[in-house]
Amino acid sequence: MVVSRFSPDLAGSTVTQTTTVRDVADLARLIIADSDVAKVTEEFNQTLTLFEALTIVNTDGIEPMVNPCTESQPLRTDNVETLVNREGLMQNAPASEQNYFLVPRVID
Amino acid sequence: MTMCFETVAALRSKLTAGEISSVELTSDALARIADLNPELNAVIASSEEQAIEAAMRADEARRDGNNNPLLGIPMLHKDIFCTQNLPTTCASKMLADFMAPYDATVVRRLDQAGMVMLGKCNMDEFAMGSSNETSYFGACKNPWNTSRVPGGSSGGSASAVAAGLAPLATGTDTGGSIRQPAALCGITGLKPTYGRVSRYGMVAFASSMDQAGPMARTAEDCALVLEAMAGGDPLDSTCSEKPVPNYAQHLSDAVTGMRVGIPKEFFSSDLNPEVATAIETALKELEGMGVKLVDVSLPSTSLGVSTYYIIAPAEASANLSRYDGVRYGYRCENPTDLQDLYLRSRSQGFGDEVKRRILIGAFTLSAASYDQYFMKAQQVRRMIAQEYDDVLSKVDVIAGPSAPNSAFLLNDTSKSITDMYMEDVFTIGANLAGLPAMSVPAGLANDLPVGMQLIGRRFGEVDILKLAHQFQQRTTWHNLTPPLKERS
Repeated sequence: MVVSRFSPDLAGSTVTQTTTVRDVADLARLIIADSDVAKVTEEFNQTLTLFEALTIVNTDGIEPMVNPCTESQPLRTDNVETLVNREGLMQNAPASEQNYFLVPRVID
Repeated sequence: MTMCFETVAALRSKLTAGEISSVELTSDALARIADLNPELNAVIASSEEQAIEAAMRADEARRDGNNNPLLGIPMLHKDIFCTQNLPTTCASKMLADFMAPYDATVVRRLDQAGMVMLGKCNMDEFAMGSSNETSYFGACKNPWNTSRVPGGSSGGSASAVAAGLAPLATGTDTGGSIRQPAALCGITGLKPTYGRVSRYGMVAFASSMDQAGPMARTAEDCALVLEAMAGGDPLDSTCSEKPVPNYAQHLSDAVTGMRVGIPKEFFSSDLNPEVATAIETALKELEGMGVKLVDVSLPSTSLGVSTYYIIAPAEASANLSRYDGVRYGYRCENPTDLQDLYLRSRSQGFGDEVKRRILIGAFTLSAASYDQYFMKAQQVRRMIAQEYDDVLSKVDVIAGPSAPNSAFLLNDTSKSITDMYMEDVFTIGANLAGLPAMSVPAGLANDLPVGMQLIGRRFGEVDILKLAHQFQQRTTWHNLTPPLKERS
């Protein structure tokens, strides 16, 4: 199943993006079941259609806004502090051994 | 039960005068939760024992001379705040069994102020939603009409306060998640300036917009609680060190001559006509207070939804990459290898709306789409923020509706995904720009509450709070209570 959107680029010509929701899901480490691909693609396209409103906006020379902070962020003294105890963190581990997280074997 | 709809300020007076104890108050609130929550599903975790113990400590502290204004007052936290003594789930299967190893700064500060935590509130999963229907623990209901949504994502907090389960609940607002449910449930909610309240221990959704705030019956209560929540925090480098005003002390400061901007774009065809009528009446009331209404324009309002729904999912896809089934959170059964562990843990642990947003975020952040979507949205974000700053250089406050509609039906299949996103059309501007904004009960439409939104200048919480407070001295919308039938 293909997600295809056609949007004018900043210069007014047309660019084509073709990708599959499966490719995107792979980037996001998510599985899309075969039975869901059509629905997910339709919803994905609906959302991309919503974004098309931005393509006609002239943003030449506008600095991207990463966050709304107006103050410089304070720096603290570089002292090591222990904020959370190891046991408190490890209590949520799905699997652990001797304070290490256990995962399936990575290297044979 | 006689105290369930009392304000924080009124309860404080009763506690100070010795007319009630915190244990009595807490017991009453717990009984009301037991009575009404099965129908509302507003509270998803509580501990009677812990709450009563905290109330006993508060009563003892009062006897020892502690007169903190919030001492002994029961409250609820949105289940997005880390709490050491109750699970923190973010209403997700992914975190269904998660016990935080520390308290969020907001939780710690309200605890230090002597507030009594009754429990944790339902919400949209990872705060992604405008109806509280995406919760892993089931939808929360609006106490005004239980076939309708309470709004979201802080729907449980809004429903609980509106139903009198607690006089106060915390919420978080990334695109309107305090203001829209406050509007739909007929309560008062405040999203502070970005950086006013620490985000430490608040499960991250979109870090450049997430902000915590109070949800209560009145502006006065929001003022009292914001003061306790706000202020610099070495554990959140985006949290401002600016001194925190005594908000309550400024509530009666003069509003005569204040200039309130009314953006024409907030009264577009997206706005339900009955909501529009209620807001217009409320604006006349502001005029009656001596406020000067000024026509203004925020021409990029309609671009806000597109901008927000690129930026927020992009940040979310990065933030939620931490849920990999390794260190905490849900892990799938019998993973065959590490990739299988990642893929199935995430696919089984996240709900549909969260996955939808992660996918969109992964797409807009991918190399082929980054400039066209993510970079573009960040540029439009600056345009939108600049428009707000320009308008707020000419007026003190911007006013309009909080949401385009009153509470809509649960499971409304006629609403598409993007229809749902449009619920945020009037609220997301303040998040993109990082401005403080409130929703104040301002009327009814089809017997359902309507909220008026007040947006202030950066760190201008005093302006919107005093305007809201004095509006509430002249109106009674905030005193209306939903037609709930107590079972006991």
